[in-house]
Amino acid sequence: MASRARLFKEYKEVQRDRGQDSDIQLLCDETNIYRWTALIKGPTDTPYQEGVFQLAINVPEQYPLVPPQVRFVTKIFHPNVHFKTGEICLDILKTAWSPAWTLQSVCRAVIALLAHPEADSPLNCDCGNLLRSGDHRGYKSMALMYTRLAAATNV
Amino acid sequence: MNSEGGGASEEDRPRDDEILAFHHAIRAADAEKLEFVGDKEPLTVLAAEYEAGNPVFKAKVENLGQSYFAIRRARGDGNCFFRSFMFSYLEHILETKNEAEVRRVEKNIEQSKRALIELGYQEFTFEDFLSIFVEQLESALPGRETSVDIDQLVQRCRDRYISDYVVMFFRFVTSAEIRKRAEFFEPFIIGISNMSVQQFCKASVEPMGEESDHVHITALSDALGVPIRVVYLDRSVGADGKNTDVNHHDFIPSECSGVDIPPVVLLYRPGHYDILYTRKDEGRQNE
Repeated sequence: MASRARLFKEYKEVQRDRGQDSDIQLLCDETNIYRWTALIKGPTDTPYQEGVFQLAINVPEQYPLVPPQVRFVTKIFHPNVHFKTGEICLDILKTAWSPAWTLQSVCRAVIALLAHPEADSPLNCDCGNLLRSGDHRGYKSMALMYTRLAAATNV
Repeated sequence: MNSEGGGASEEDRPRDDEILAFHHAIRAADAEKLEFVGDKEPLTVLAAEYEAGNPVFKAKVENLGQSYFAIRRARGDGNCFFRSFMFSYLEHILETKNEAEVRRVEKNIEQSKRALIELGYQEFTFEDFLSIFVEQLESALPGRETSVDIDQLVQRCRDRYISDYVVMFFRFVTSAEIRKRAEFFEPFIIGISNMSVQQFCKASVEPMGEESDHVHITALSDALGVPIRVVYLDRSVGADGKNTDVNHHDFIPSECSGVDIPPVVLLYRPGHYDILYTRKDEGRQNE
């Protein structure tokens, strides 16, 4: 199975780089290489910086020809993340996917999305509306509140 | 704003993986209508297609018959250029049994590999795709345990795993060539897409299903060192409004400047590529 071989390579790479990318911790399910968990640090100078967010990664059999399914397990207030399901609106997880991406670089892209919310393609309309109406203070305080409630590291 | 921070209208929306699954289902339904590459058919099937159609097309198809005698269709899934190229080139190797040619192309593949690494691609992200293509090249040559005949080649090019992996390898190679020679390609890319070279490669070259045009063809042809002819079947007529000669363009990499007719000949109709067979080869091929 090509996807399995590829995932083993990614697994080895993750073990080798352990500690280099301290913002991302990628963990493979011990019994199933198609299921991964990622812990990502909220980027600095954003309302997410105090938080660590858990992502659930489901890798389909046709990987890496098709993208992994990634969603937030930790509640987050962000225009491009569905507030209830944790689904992420990110082009590389859909039509712009290519096998040049890896689980690690996908996590980096998710962190970049946290730092650069795209208010024009919102999955969380309320959050998108705050940003589109220019209420950055409102957005920041909501996002910060949910970060403290759901993603605080010192709980 | 409701108390939960999410809008009510979002509830009815299908999830993205459901949309993707639906998208795949549509493609799968299409797949049953036509293989990745079809059977070799006489060019008369094309004439039948335009029997009741546009008179310019009809006249052009007739003219096409002077130089070409057969067509092999590719599935229209956005990868048709790469799939057509794959089959057409491997068939060329199978027929010419030209080992030196394979070695030459393998050297170019090595170059592409180095370019990808220099551009920052991790080797494990493309090596599986690369080795699948090299395997196909090797088994198109005679006298090996893995050697294939034309029927087996057709089967392989219809195999989803093999075909998709080779297409993806071509996409990596194409992207690397464009990015390596960004200055050369930039004006063409701006002309068709309004994107930067890097954006273009990320959005229109590397993802599966993204259609190809002259930028992709030039890049792949140059990178692998394989000349490609594209025959254009469209509604355009010459300056006098009557000329229904069929135009073609030959993409000839500099290392192949002496080539007369490229080994790969494709028919382009707006939005789609198929494989053409030249009359010159008619006697040699017996399918």
